[in-house]
Amino acid sequence: MSLNHEIEFTLNGVKRRATVRVDMSALDMLREVIGLTGTKYGCGEGECGACTILVDGLSLNSCLMFAVDCQGRNVVTIEGLAADAKADALRAAFTEHGAVQCGYCTPGMVMQASHLLASQPDADAAAIKRGIEGNLCRCTGYKKIVDAIASVNSADKQGATP
Amino acid sequence: MNVREKKVRFIAPDTLIGKRIQKMDAPEKASGKTRYIHDINLPGQLYGKILRSERVHARIKSIDTSAAKALAGVHVVITAADIVDQRPIGVAKDHLPLKAGKVRSMRDEVAAVAAESELIAMEALKLIKVEYEDLPILTDPAEAIKPGAVLIHPEPHRPDGHDALKPGGSVAFTGKPDNIAMRFDYCHGDVVQAEAESDVVVEDTFKLHYVTHCCLGVSGMIAEFDASGNLLMYSNTQVPFLHKREFAEILNMDPGRIRIIQPSIGGGFGSKLDIYPFEVICVYLARAAKRPVKLVFTREEEFISSPTRQPVLLTLRSGCRKDGSLTFRTVHTLHDNGAYTSWGATTPFVMMQTFSSLYRVPNCDYHTVAVYTNNPYAGSFRGYGNLQATFAVEAHMDKMAEAIGMGPLEFRLKNAQDEGEVSGQGMDFKSCGFKDCLNIAAERSDFKRKFAENVKNRNAPGPIKRGIGIASMLHVGGGAKIYPSDGCGTILKLDDFAQVTLITGASEIGQGSETVLSQLVCEELGLPMSALTVINNDTAITPWDVGVHASRTTFIAGNSALGAARLAKAKILAAAAKKFECAEEELDLRGGCVIKAANGEVLIDLPRLMRSLHFQDKAELVMTTFYYEPPSSHQDKDYKGNVSAAYAWGTQVVEIELDTETGIVRMTKVTAAHDVGRVLNRLGIEGQVEGGVVMGQGYALTESLIVENGVTRNPNFRDYKLVTAPEIPEMDIAFIESMDGEGPKGAKGVGEAPAICVAAATANAIYNATGVRICGLPFTPERVYRALHGKGEKLYLAPEQAA
Amino acid sequence: MTEIEQYVAPSSLEQAAEYLQRPGGVTILAGGTDLMPQSQGGRLKIRRTLMNINHIPELQGIAIEGGAIRIGALATITEIMQSELIKKHLPILIEACDHFASDQIRNAATLGGNVCNASPAGDMLVPLLVLDAEVELASKPNGSLSRRRLPLAEFFVGPGKTRLGEAELLAGLRIALPSAHHYARFFKFGTRPALDISTISIGIAGVLQDGALANVRVAFGAVAPVPMRAPRTEQALEGKRLDTASIDAIADVARDEVTPIDDIRATAWYRKELIHNITKRMLAHVAQS
Repeated sequence: MSLNHEIEFTLNGVKRRATVRVDMSALDMLREVIGLTGTKYGCGEGECGACTILVDGLSLNSCLMFAVDCQGRNVVTIEGLAADAKADALRAAFTEHGAVQCGYCTPGMVMQASHLLASQPDADAAAIKRGIEGNLCRCTGYKKIVDAIASVNSADKQGATP
Repeated sequence: MNVREKKVRFIAPDTLIGKRIQKMDAPEKASGKTRYIHDINLPGQLYGKILRSERVHARIKSIDTSAAKALAGVHVVITAADIVDQRPIGVAKDHLPLKAGKVRSMRDEVAAVAAESELIAMEALKLIKVEYEDLPILTDPAEAIKPGAVLIHPEPHRPDGHDALKPGGSVAFTGKPDNIAMRFDYCHGDVVQAEAESDVVVEDTFKLHYVTHCCLGVSGMIAEFDASGNLLMYSNTQVPFLHKREFAEILNMDPGRIRIIQPSIGGGFGSKLDIYPFEVICVYLARAAKRPVKLVFTREEEFISSPTRQPVLLTLRSGCRKDGSLTFRTVHTLHDNGAYTSWGATTPFVMMQTFSSLYRVPNCDYHTVAVYTNNPYAGSFRGYGNLQATFAVEAHMDKMAEAIGMGPLEFRLKNAQDEGEVSGQGMDFKSCGFKDCLNIAAERSDFKRKFAENVKNRNAPGPIKRGIGIASMLHVGGGAKIYPSDGCGTILKLDDFAQVTLITGASEIGQGSETVLSQLVCEELGLPMSALTVINNDTAITPWDVGVHASRTTFIAGNSALGAARLAKAKILAAAAKKFECAEEELDLRGGCVIKAANGEVLIDLPRLMRSLHFQDKAELVMTTFYYEPPSSHQDKDYKGNVSAAYAWGTQVVEIELDTETGIVRMTKVTAAHDVGRVLNRLGIEGQVEGGVVMGQGYALTESLIVENGVTRNPNFRDYKLVTAPEIPEMDIAFIESMDGEGPKGAKGVGEAPAICVAAATANAIYNATGVRICGLPFTPERVYRALHGKGEKLYLAPEQAA
Repeated sequence: MTEIEQYVAPSSLEQAAEYLQRPGGVTILAGGTDLMPQSQGGRLKIRRTLMNINHIPELQGIAIEGGAIRIGALATITEIMQSELIKKHLPILIEACDHFASDQIRNAATLGGNVCNASPAGDMLVPLLVLDAEVELASKPNGSLSRRRLPLAEFFVGPGKTRLGEAELLAGLRIALPSAHHYARFFKFGTRPALDISTISIGIAGVLQDGALANVRVAFGAVAPVPMRAPRTEQALEGKRLDTASIDAIADVARDEVTPIDDIRATAWYRKELIHNITKRMLAHVAQS
């Protein structure tokens, strides 16, 4: 028998409750308890970044986070980025630059890129590569992902995104 | 006279070919909306988990599942004893899904559970008690091949694991009198004579290591039987039709009652070309539990249980004349077959193509022996043996060039084939951009100048050395006729709004096949990409395709789609010609309209024409079908023949910086020139090459699945190093368009090519930088450091060990 | 499945210290970046009480307190990296942070967690050692909250093992403000900028004086059961004028001082070679400073 605990937190802008096992990861909570499958299981050990979410504006690996630690916090998943204009530009850039192949790493990449752009608006290609060093991709070789993220940055500077 | 003024429109010619076409499913994927197998949940489903062996080689004395069965939430627990009709699977049918009597490797499946939740299933696994009796462990194929070695598959054995054969009893696998799983012997010309005529002969032993696919999406499957006993599988297989047939055989079912749906896949790279125990076990669980069963690996399980790339120990002996012409290659390889046979053992099919035909070599002798051990078995992996073979071939190209004092580029150009040549193995190079690949890659990387400069700097002060290395590759680019058919079927229909549905047998594994097929159809029908929907993932709907392998999809599925599109176009133009009372040759399709070919004048937009066709007296819909079989041949029993309808080449120049005080090799730049026939989707093909180069970089520098005494020591991303974003090289990619006559719009396959010669070029770069040749992979800092300090591994394979 | 019977999230250090006295033991949850994989991988069993310490104010913050920088145990690696105080006074920690895992992990991983996890290869531990860091441990043994300090060098006992008492909580770390002419550098060997468990790491610190280092501190990571100070290397380096010959000699001492093991990441021989070659390089840098 395992101990359950009820938490209350904000998920993608909506306040909600969830009952979780105390030892459950935030990733498992999102996928199994809440039913949002956009956040992916890649390794369960924080090495691949496929499970990246935003918590209080910071990106982190949801597979390493305890679900109970979401209490009172502001959690955003890939589903939540749908409402974000900058994320729209990011998603469009990923498509335009060919940064998506099998797409499995893509939600985590987009989440991490979104945080990167918010915290380092001046990031150049080298800084972007460091910024996504915790996100593994097996298909693209990363180049087009970096191009996509950089294009949103520079478009931003030219005032191209609202 | 009542003349209605009509505006005449003209549409200028345009083309989609060679453009940057966005991948059709990218927006969904970037929004997290795509449903992979892990995201699919069926009502009433149970969760399956597999208990794997705790020993490397052991007799199973007993399995006690009683405690597991009693755990609340557990529906079924099965072992081999419960599946009396179990049949062996795999390439050599030596592989029972649930092991009976013996375990032969650490990944061996001993029992399986279906339960209400994954957590309960995992708890149940812990409650299964297995008693083992250890057997001697064989992890070196050189030991396993010796007479008197313990037999991994003694003959014959029954499904229940007993070695003795009862009359009338079923035989799981006839077993072997020794540990040899497969042999391959090939020859063209006379290598003995050729060696005698050579001015230079070089010989080396190369060791190619275990790496694994590391698809970001782990393996998984869902199996469900309906009320009438029909089987539905949600599977990420790359060969759905072959799978369907094999499952029918394994389950003794009518193949018509098996349906496979392929959800979006989280990476393939060849990992999903064979039938694996977990798939069959999932079906057994669904059958026993009478509920849908979803079985998904953990990442650790993925590392331990998925097939690897084929490890190879090979000795290559090469010769040339002092004028630079190659004379012969003699190859002996020892393939570690692992405990069961999967596609890895058949990599010699591809390897011999490289040894016999990469560069013009008039005499070639090739021998492989694949030997059973208690190690993990290897499967198919992007390149399929070609990385291993090219690593050896290209090392010797540099070595021989140096021996006769010729530059590495000149030596290669001297031996590179031209269009129209037929290789010693019977491969017909109808389109060939080989020399262009060599010249352009060398030119764009400033190869010659840098090569010379680096040699000069070898003994200069300072720990950092630069190196530049060149290597080429040859791979099939027009399919590979290894099955009875290498074809692909297409069904095409247009609706009343000129929206096209393209139903193709070719699967999409993330490489963009659905986009390039759509592109070809839209080009033919003069429609925008938005007019097309692709259906490619349900065996109940799609026509047959042999599968996604051998870089065949653009070529073969492309030609199939084009065939159907051309038939549709002919039908449309015939109808339009009738309507506008002119000849079909005067008309064309462009911009969603029927136009006059001569000047682009719009006669009618296509949706209107479709509706007029549909709602006329003799109603007609535009529906067409096409099955394309490439004009290649099956190899004869000597492995000779034109196995592909086209071949593709690539040359890569790798530049490195090597720190002699630590051994760290940084790949700074890769210049690639790939003969692709014709660039169709520029965005897609660039992505394939960039991804392939980085995969090759991993093979060369960072990735290594460490297997010691049959145990995988690094089954995680912490210690199995995939290349990360900050490590990628600068990439300069050029495409050579040799315009293949048979390829769709001239295109050839490129899926595997970019991964194939990166390691070979890197080895040459390390030599250029340091004067030290390293014959084993990967070039980790420690391996490089040891080699520089004379402490490198001594590799040797005696011919008798391999023959 | 774990057998946690109670989950608590105290909002004060005193409350936390009380909970620590519960029977059946308490497992502490901070960032979770080590706890979660260890628990799920079966390497660690979570005790009867899981205590979330993320809401305890006394464990947070980076500030100057009485001539020392106090870093709260809950300071994340990202917070340390972005701290103006750390950038100004303890740049060696910034170097270590920059090589730590990935952005996602840095945003969640805490300094306290890294210290208590006591990995022989712990990225933050080697620089903390050469900075003479002290750990601040809190408990409530006799009904009132008390704290004690311990040099970090004495805190590690073995791989994953520290002198943290059963009912004690790591509250923070204290590092004396470095004097003028203080020199401190950290090097972590790897093929990646970060996301690597180090094969070896080296920290060197001291006060620059006439082409030599005084009050030398040298620490090595991933070459011993714990991140270690290197007394023989320190002795060889102390006050020594640095030229090619003396640097060579000190590097030899360093190589001889370590007795690493063979593991899947590297062999002992190679680790020793790296210690030698990198120490040499770092000392050349000191000589130029």
